Amino acid sequence: MTVIPNAVRGLPPCLPLTIRIVFSLCNRQADSRILNSTMARTLLMDSSLLANAETVVSRARAGDTEALGELFRAFEVPVYNLARRICRTTEDAEDVLQETFFEVCRSIKRYREEGSLWGWIRTIAASKALMRLRRNKYRDTDELHDEVVGNRREDTPLRMDLEAALERLSETSRAVVWLHDVEGYTHEEIAEMMGKTPSFSKSQLSRAHARLRSWLGEEMIP
Amino acid sequence: MSHLTMDTLVGLREPGNEPGQSAAREHLNGCPYCQAELERLHQRVARLKALPALRPGRDRWPETMARFNAERRQRRNRTISLTGLATAASLAAVLSLGHMNNLNVTRPQEMTAEQLSQVMERSQVLESALNDYNPDGRVLDGRTARIAGELEDRIARLDQQLEMTELQRQQASDQDLLRLWRERVGLLDALVDVHVTRASNAGL
Repeated sequence: MTVIPNAVRGLPPCLPLTIRIVFSLCNRQADSRILNSTMARTLLMDSSLLANAETVVSRARAGDTEALGELFRAFEVPVYNLARRICRTTEDAEDVLQETFFEVCRSIKRYREEGSLWGWIRTIAASKALMRLRRNKYRDTDELHDEVVGNRREDTPLRMDLEAALERLSETSRAVVWLHDVEGYTHEEIAEMMGKTPSFSKSQLSRAHARLRSWLGEEMIP
Repeated sequence: MSHLTMDTLVGLREPGNEPGQSAAREHLNGCPYCQAELERLHQRVARLKALPALRPGRDRWPETMARFNAERRQRRNRTISLTGLATAASLAAVLSLGHMNNLNVTRPQEMTAEQLSQVMERSQVLESALNDYNPDGRVLDGRTARIAGELEDRIARLDQQLEMTELQRQQASDQDLLRLWRERVGLLDALVDVHVTRASNAGL
């Protein structure tokens, strides 16, 4: 059986596939206490997206707008990707992108360099996306809607069956799947961001996987 | 024979050992069907992670920066007004105390206080002129926007210095304060010039 290596948690798809595969192989083989920690992975993200992150952050703290622009350029795609996976429309995702970096500009002085920069920005982005989700109050249903499935997102490649299945999930389930399985948040963290319980996050995740499995043409477990 | 549910399989991917997981792992070790199911789950997650990144259709940085600059300007105006009031109040207090105690307030100190008051007044006039002009609601060409942005940055940095100097008032002399305020007025003058020159060139 061909095994697809698990990509590193917290490593967004904007990185080249080779880098993701190297990281994922490291994740399987190296000392798990070092590489498996979320902080280590997000720190890897910082250095891969922004070579001189520390310098840029100190310049941004001093009010240098060029440095803020560099932060935006470095993290624009992972933030948008996260927002787009959670929000229904491209407009909403772009608004989340703008709100996230507006918050980054305002709060960069309060950012403590104890954790990773990407971890900090990602949490802002996830909160903004979930807030938008709540604000829009989309109908939360797992049923197939013609208007949704008939019109594939304009920024989604056609070949991706998984994309369509992911899109068919309810807003909440999709957010939980993405935040847990791709971004690497724990159920406790997701619950806190969503204002729900960890059990809610767990049940959303397993329901979502059962549905994905079924929609991707695999038989259900008896 | 009952196999593991999706709930349990998803739980097995979590770190730690939750209640019931030992029994589930024991079952897993002897059940090729559930092993295959768990592997499918792993692969599905790996495929999710491997989905290509979605990119924004347009550049949202200029809007973000404009919004941030507008907010920064409003905040600065508030801060400077408060700082100005505080400085004026403290100067008045020093002068009246000196008078009450019959102390000889030296001439240079009075001069500095008066100059400081004038410079702060001038700063407020320029701020007000800039607000009336409403630079946030206007479109600038690239070069003007860059120059205006640089001046705004320098003013913001100077405001930080002013705040710090105000906080350390005991150590800082009025001359230091006067120098910073003069520098601020110079930068504000330049900023107003940039906007007004641009407006007159464009016939606005």
